[in-house]
Amino acid sequence: MTILDIRDLHVVVQGREILKGISLSIAAGEVHAVMGPNGSGKSTLSYTLAGRQGYDITSGRILYQGEDLTALAPEERATKGLFLALQYPVEIPGVTTMNFLKAALNAQRRARGDKELDAMSVLRLVRETAGQLKIPEEMLRRALNVGFSGGEKKRLEILQMALFKPTLAVLDETDSGLDIDALKLVADGVNALRAPDRSMLVITHYQRLLNHIVPDRVHVLSDGRFVAEGGKELAHELEAKGYAGLARDAA
Amino acid sequence: MSAAVETFFPSGFDSEAAVSGVAWLDRRRADALKRFRAVGIPHRRVEEWKYSDLRNALEAPRTRETLGPTTGDPFRGVAGSQFLVRDGRLDWASSKPSLPRGVEVLDLTALRDDSPDWVKAHFGEVLNDGTVGQASLALMRGGVALRIGPEIAIPFHLRFEQREPAAHARVLVIVEQGASLLFLESHAQCDGLTNIGVEFVLAPNAQLTQVRLADTAANAIHIEEIGVRVARDAKFRGHFTQSGAKLARLELAIALEEEGAEAALSGAAVVAGKRHSDITTHVRHDAGKTQSRQLFKYAVADRARAVYQGKITVAKGADASDSRQTAKAILLGERAEADLKPELEILADDVKCAHGAAVGDLDAESLFYLRTRGIPEREARGLLLRAFLEEAVAEIPNEEVRAAAWRFIDSGISQTGEAAQ
Amino acid sequence: MSIAAETKSQVAELGEKYKYGFVTDIEMERAPRGLNEDVVRLISAKKGEPEWMLEWRLGAYRRWREMREPAWARVHYPKIDYESAYYYAAPKLAAQPKSLEEIDPKLLETYEKLGIPLHEQKLLAGVAVDAVFDSVSVATTFKAKLAEAGVIFCPISEAIREHGDLVREYLGSVVPVTDNFFATLNSAVFSDGSFVYVPKGVRCPMELSTYFRINASETGQFERTLIIADEGSYVSYLEGCTAPKRDENQLHAAVVELIALEGAEIKYSTVQNWYPGDEQGRGGIFNFVTKRGDCRGARSKISWTQVETGSAITWKYPSCILRGDDTVGEFYSIAIANHFQQADTGTKMIHLGRNTRSRIVSKGISAGKAQNTYRGLVSVHPRAANARNHTQCDSLLIGKECGAHTVPYIESRNPSAHVEHEATTSKIADDQLFYCTSRGIAEEEAVALIVNGFCREVLQQLPMEFAVEAQKLVGISLEGSVG
Repeated sequence: MTILDIRDLHVVVQGREILKGISLSIAAGEVHAVMGPNGSGKSTLSYTLAGRQGYDITSGRILYQGEDLTALAPEERATKGLFLALQYPVEIPGVTTMNFLKAALNAQRRARGDKELDAMSVLRLVRETAGQLKIPEEMLRRALNVGFSGGEKKRLEILQMALFKPTLAVLDETDSGLDIDALKLVADGVNALRAPDRSMLVITHYQRLLNHIVPDRVHVLSDGRFVAEGGKELAHELEAKGYAGLARDAA
Repeated sequence: MSAAVETFFPSGFDSEAAVSGVAWLDRRRADALKRFRAVGIPHRRVEEWKYSDLRNALEAPRTRETLGPTTGDPFRGVAGSQFLVRDGRLDWASSKPSLPRGVEVLDLTALRDDSPDWVKAHFGEVLNDGTVGQASLALMRGGVALRIGPEIAIPFHLRFEQREPAAHARVLVIVEQGASLLFLESHAQCDGLTNIGVEFVLAPNAQLTQVRLADTAANAIHIEEIGVRVARDAKFRGHFTQSGAKLARLELAIALEEEGAEAALSGAAVVAGKRHSDITTHVRHDAGKTQSRQLFKYAVADRARAVYQGKITVAKGADASDSRQTAKAILLGERAEADLKPELEILADDVKCAHGAAVGDLDAESLFYLRTRGIPEREARGLLLRAFLEEAVAEIPNEEVRAAAWRFIDSGISQTGEAAQ
Repeated sequence: MSIAAETKSQVAELGEKYKYGFVTDIEMERAPRGLNEDVVRLISAKKGEPEWMLEWRLGAYRRWREMREPAWARVHYPKIDYESAYYYAAPKLAAQPKSLEEIDPKLLETYEKLGIPLHEQKLLAGVAVDAVFDSVSVATTFKAKLAEAGVIFCPISEAIREHGDLVREYLGSVVPVTDNFFATLNSAVFSDGSFVYVPKGVRCPMELSTYFRINASETGQFERTLIIADEGSYVSYLEGCTAPKRDENQLHAAVVELIALEGAEIKYSTVQNWYPGDEQGRGGIFNFVTKRGDCRGARSKISWTQVETGSAITWKYPSCILRGDDTVGEFYSIAIANHFQQADTGTKMIHLGRNTRSRIVSKGISAGKAQNTYRGLVSVHPRAANARNHTQCDSLLIGKECGAHTVPYIESRNPSAHVEHEATTSKIADDQLFYCTSRGIAEEEAVALIVNGFCREVLQQLPMEFAVEAQKLVGISLEGSVG
């Protein structure tokens, strides 16, 4: 079954076309990687999928589980099982991490018609997963992402992914700003969440993340277009030749 | 007489004849009246009232409005004696005193030649600038005086209710050496003119924590001027939340008179509809090694207007003083307005003074982040709004009282159309 | 008008006197004391002004009669007797020093410190100069270069006669005749000033400062400046001088109007170093200035930079009206008040258009018994969606007798606007001073060094050649503030 089907997608940001007609199809349980240099349109793709304002689809379409995403608000997409792990998770002073997790979990449950969880149940749920990701309880009491290290922020994103159990997870440069130990911890967290009913789109600049999260397919994005596609070995080829080399081959 | 003057002076009030026969009191009230008359009812061309045109508000026709259901005392459940001031007079019958020895309460309608020295020494002498404060003394109906004896610690509720079209009242509180007072002040909705003058005197090492929740009708004109004198190593804390009115003005004049004196002021307000909410502070560092902190946060919705004017004066020679002040407003409505004027007047060189002010909207980035987590926009906005106000509410030291303040604020948020929790 | 003015304007006008058929041949030496319609008529007649200009002046005069002197600023000065002042005086009246020997040695010492060339020293001190032919030729060269680019740069009195349409369209369009007491007075009796017009798409080929320094900056006590940057043009203008100027008029009430049309940019820099009075607070200029720029067209920009070190009293608020969409306003200020000086200065940023941006950086230094006030307004109107302002306002106190005050007004009426204001007050830390002196730097020099660091952000905004002099000036104006 196809989870995500992007067809000839064109996206304009502040009057400039960033995505110039990309197509992509992800089946249930598959992990796809989108690789590309800075400015190629990687983040635009993830923001467009999540429904951020100011990312205007001028043509093409995005089908998610057969449904057109474009008219849906970000929260509706989230409730339908689309999860975006941000490259730069936002700091929100005044909102404790725990309180935020509870608000998000319950909002999603409410939207799906499930019963809301009380504070104790949420805490229990969070604790289990937090332990695996080495997230101390003290961190959950602090304001959301405020004063967190790069690694802590990314671990918290993965914690949310584990809690929300999405159908499609988009990981936007989850490796950026991480040292090798932190990277491994995050990758292990992601791998533990791989499942036949869960697809992932891993967006990254570097191949090193893909040593840990091994993709089924790799797409190379350059200047708003996919210039190469292949299996996991494409990532290694890219590492050897660089983006410039690959773009030359493609041309 | 103009409409403004007619509204301001209670009907049947003949100022020259308002004599009690108590010489010291009549003299002070006559002086106050003279000072008030010299300046008159302030309007927008008076610099300090630039954003709160009292004359205009009084002159505009006002219909008495149907008040919402009485919400009751927001501090209900918090321990302490409760006193009620109704239409400007202390209402003994409705008050619930349970005061330890060493605490004195006095009805200000019953001032005499032989009133206690602590009253005679301070009443009308602390709040001696500000024109409207003069009027509350000159035109007062009554009010309450309170003295907390040395080393005593108590909570005290003072609630104001008013059904009459105009009431002027006074409050005097003396906190003696080493004593500690939690002063909870609440106002029931009323739609008339309220003018209250409050005087606080903190002796050395005394502590006074005031938490004021003022629920006022959209049509009310509500003014309160608070004068505070803080002695050596004493500490005044104040937290102020008001829902705003046709014109709502809280004015604080704080004098840090001796070394080690401290003041910490905070406020979190949600102003909606067509309401106006003005908090004006003047903190004077008259002695060295004094400290002041201020943190005010406003959320302004619809066509409401929030005003913050904060002046800090560091007197000549008040070295090693430390003063910080922050005022922030978030505009939620297309026609909302915020006016901030954080002012510094520094006459000593060895000081640390900083102030910051900002007006903006809810952070779009944060809003998007919350929504990608499945939190609907309305709820996400409410969450961010509370987060914005949180820092100021957190200044309230008592947990029970803090919860009461949150309930008050949440009901304000629900009136803005932003989701409350 | 002082002697310097006459000399300089004569020098400057040598080349064009005949071309324009205009000779400043003034017979009457002085109008009677006081101000009335006849004096206004006389001023206008002496300048050979057209009827409309006279009417304009008379309108201003009548209005001024009804106005009251403002009292809101934090400055105190003896009441000015407007009835006993002279509003028109011929330039030849005052005694003219014959050589530099007759000049106050303190003044010369300052010139020396600033590194001002000898012939300019003479110009500035008002010595009758006969050896300035260099300057004449330089001025002529500049004039030719500007003409080639189509830039009009001339005394405003000349512009009123020669470019009447332009003046009529723009004069008073930014600072209305009725704006404030001092501006209205200026409108009635302004003596002279500069006029600049930069045509569409032209980048003015030089800093107008370069020329200005040699040409008469001397325009009397009621100076009037009008600068128009037409669509897509750019001009940088520097007013004033780092050198202290001799001047006999106590009251100065200047008006400066800037108009930037679509896509245009005006950079206006001021170094104000009028006589501040002596160490006891005697004498000194009262400087009451109205300066305002109008970003009338979309995407235009106006940037004010000021270094205010002189005058006994400074009262000025160079402002920007951000009328067009996507316009930018900037205000960079250093205000130094020493001895008994009083400065009340700041800016107004009026956001009217969408996506308008403004930035305010103010550095106030108080020393001696001086009072220094920053007064600023940031106003965001309902239509000004996405307006942005950032204000940084820092005060430095040197000594225990001075005062530093900050009075910002923030008024926002658009929910998408962001306005941020930060202010700090501090003193020169003893350890900073000790560190410098322990390295062999004299205390006064150390103060200058530290203060220059404090002001760096603003000094960087000045045109290169003036930044260096302004730095020295910062040190000089703080002399006597420590020790």
